[in-house]
Amino acid sequence: MQRNGFKYANIILMLLLSLFIFTLIFEIVTHADPLSLIANIISPEIQFAIHLSLLTSVISTFMCILITIPVSYSLARYDFHGKAIINTLLDLPMALPPIVAGLGLLLIFGTTSFGSYLADAGLKFVFTVPGIIMAQFAVNVSLMLRIMRSTFEGINPRYEHVAQTLGCTPFQAFFRTTLPLSKNGMLAGSVITWSRGMGEFGAVLMLAGATRMKTETLPIALYLNISSGELDLAIAAASILILISGITLYLFERKGGVAKLC
Amino acid sequence: MNMIEVSDLLIEIGEFELKRINLFVKEGEYFCILGPTGSGKTILLESIAGIYRPDMGSILINRHNVTDLLPKDRNISVVYQDFMLFPNMNIRDNIGFGLKYKGYEKSVIEDKVEKTAEFLGISHLLDRYPSTLSGGEKQRTAIARAIITEPDLLLLDEPLYALDPGTKARLRQELLRIHQLKKTTTIHVTHSFEGAFALADRIAIMHGGKIHQVGTPDEVFRKPNSAFVASFVGVENLFHGTSVIKDDQSEILINGLIIISNALKSGNVSVSIRPEDILISKDPIHSSAQNSFSGVLTEITRMRATVNLVIDAVIPFRVVLTKRAYDDMGLYVGSWVYLTFKASATHII
Repeated sequence: MQRNGFKYANIILMLLLSLFIFTLIFEIVTHADPLSLIANIISPEIQFAIHLSLLTSVISTFMCILITIPVSYSLARYDFHGKAIINTLLDLPMALPPIVAGLGLLLIFGTTSFGSYLADAGLKFVFTVPGIIMAQFAVNVSLMLRIMRSTFEGINPRYEHVAQTLGCTPFQAFFRTTLPLSKNGMLAGSVITWSRGMGEFGAVLMLAGATRMKTETLPIALYLNISSGELDLAIAAASILILISGITLYLFERKGGVAKLC
Repeated sequence: MNMIEVSDLLIEIGEFELKRINLFVKEGEYFCILGPTGSGKTILLESIAGIYRPDMGSILINRHNVTDLLPKDRNISVVYQDFMLFPNMNIRDNIGFGLKYKGYEKSVIEDKVEKTAEFLGISHLLDRYPSTLSGGEKQRTAIARAIITEPDLLLLDEPLYALDPGTKARLRQELLRIHQLKKTTTIHVTHSFEGAFALADRIAIMHGGKIHQVGTPDEVFRKPNSAFVASFVGVENLFHGTSVIKDDQSEILINGLIIISNALKSGNVSVSIRPEDILISKDPIHSSAQNSFSGVLTEITRMRATVNLVIDAVIPFRVVLTKRAYDDMGLYVGSWVYLTFKASATHII
């Protein structure tokens, strides 16, 4: 009897939590009637936000992939002094509140001579679309790095050794063996990085600001419309973000990527 | 001529290190590096392959100093115990991989892949992927991939380790056949003395990053130069002889002594008898066991729970007794004793 009591108490809590999450999502997507939801989704402002979010998140995801491949390969394959410190440092943005990372970016690009040098050269990050991409990159690169590092660690370096003895340069050996073998990890990492890019708010707000129809990504659209009382537009933006989360989770689970997070 | 010369090789990787290794391997030789896990034998092999850059010392292959060359410029091939077939390519592309990077034309590669696959009996597998192959088939593929480039030096890292006993024996014969046909200088790293004994022209015993002894298997087995080598190789009765098949049994002539085995194989063979399979007595035993010899007890080594004996019966047999049995028999160096073991206890390698 006591054993059953324990079991039922656990199960009831589990059901309550599920109900809570379900209601939370249900409330958003059913708040407006389907017809007006669709009308709001195809409104120019939300269309702009969808396009901008897609564009910036795809670019920042590619930047994350390009930079994390060599960096995570170094961490997985080479031994050097200070490796533990570098590992911790590179993992830090994952634990950092995005708004803090955003403040750091704003200081780099808005107040330093390096920032003004880049701005003079035409690379303006403060209150611009490139700023959105930079903010998404800075916040998400750690997660991608972690996934790629454990992916590379899981691939036996002897594949490359064999390829090298058979005539490959070190780069060719990597390109022909380890890189193709990392495909699943890279896909899982890209999907989650992309989805987090779509939803990135705090760092984007700090660096790129929240200007309607200029730096208005989906989360910024949600924020701007809630602030100005346009609840229906805010819900339209939120619904798109929920849809993206669903797709992401499905793809990520299919690639078995959750296990690679730790 | 020396094909491989390793001089004063010093290398440190994590907790492993090689301490000034000096080694030479003659052209066409089958050379085994034998040592327990963690002895540094794989690092030595991979240093010769060029995977690791030594901290000191030099490596010469074919009289060229290759110490600073990339693996691809050394004309060598490696076969690992865990096969390391590229899972993203089929067997045909795996075998042809090296030729592609050495700049052969497509038609030439196709032709050579077919021939090499036929040579190793894996022609029917060419369009399959590595994950669908058995261990033996995978290792045949890995060997094919390694020999197709006609390397100056073939490096084998425990190539038989991951295989079941039957496959292991067949592939050992295959390695011998390949070596006899191609005469490729081969360095084979293993921790099994039995395996090395059957294959090697010479062996090196390695332990703790150092080479302890180099010699023919017989030399190392008969005259171990240190306690470590003795304990490492001295646990087995291993002999070379010539075998003739008679009445469904093999009669193996070893130094004038004839040992009967149930295993059937003729010609030059290596024979092993586990020390614990040999019965020892002070008087002749009449039993169904077909091998019975007498000899002088020449050596007694007390271990923790057992006593190891060496009995010279034309050839030296090693026998293991429990402490109790040893005490009950009252043996001493110089005792005349009888050895008995079954034909089924005689293994032909």
